[in-house]
Amino acid sequence: MEKQLEDLKAIREMMEKSSKFLSLSGLSGIVAGITAIAGAAFAWFCVLNNPSANCFDRYQRISVLLADAILVLLISIGFGIYFSVKKAKKRNQKLLNRVTIKTIYNLSVPLITGAVFSLLFLYRGEPEIVASITLVFYGLALVNASKYTFDEIHYLGITEILLGIGAAIFLHNGIIFWTIGFGFCHIIYGLIMYKKYDLK
Amino acid sequence: MANIIANLNKAFESRIRLGIMSVLMVNESADFSTIKDLLELTDGNLASHIKALEALNYIESTKQFIGRKPNTKYTITDLGRQSFQEHLDALENLIR
Repeated sequence: MEKQLEDLKAIREMMEKSSKFLSLSGLSGIVAGITAIAGAAFAWFCVLNNPSANCFDRYQRISVLLADAILVLLISIGFGIYFSVKKAKKRNQKLLNRVTIKTIYNLSVPLITGAVFSLLFLYRGEPEIVASITLVFYGLALVNASKYTFDEIHYLGITEILLGIGAAIFLHNGIIFWTIGFGFCHIIYGLIMYKKYDLK
Repeated sequence: MANIIANLNKAFESRIRLGIMSVLMVNESADFSTIKDLLELTDGNLASHIKALEALNYIESTKQFIGRKPNTKYTITDLGRQSFQEHLDALENLIR
């Protein structure tokens, strides 16, 4: 009886381990969320809602917002990689295997498409829609990649898509939806995943 | 009870073979070194178990070249999938 139970456990573990990217850490989500809120606060207080920023022209303001967004993205990706490397080491696993590459590929296709769309709209001088585009395409990327990782990522993706549609409906409050989606949702899901998978 | 035990497949008694079959059940294919890393085995140890499973027609291999390096890819056969599923069902029935 003992052996059968152990066998079944080993089978399930090997199936998961060989087909899913499990080195994703909840901490990545928490740091990404905090960074996004800081970035959004900077955008709001220094550019969008700052009367003294009016002396800059529209394109200068868009450039500052773009630099702000790219900085948030780089910090989030950097910490994401850092925590994944740490978790892979702790679990005594190679980080770069076929499943990791598949996960990154499935994440990248919608994400890069969204980035190109965002840049096109920025270039045309329509930054209002960018909050919605980034949320929707990020959500689609998560849903797409979630089959190779934890189930929570699927639901985070759906949440981001819904917030993105909300941001398109309430076009001028896009930054509020953006802050909820990239900030608070990341922190909440990050905490859930950290408690569920990392503390084990 | 005797009947249920009879459904357990002797070929899957070893934990290593269970591991190989599990990997190939959920992945379209896997190459030798991937399976080796996943199961944390030595070349010789893995090779002998793979040979046994191949002899039973549970898995099959295709040799290919990546650049100049030979690479052997393994896939599960229909017979292998069916046999492993029956073994899984038998295990589950036993602990129920």
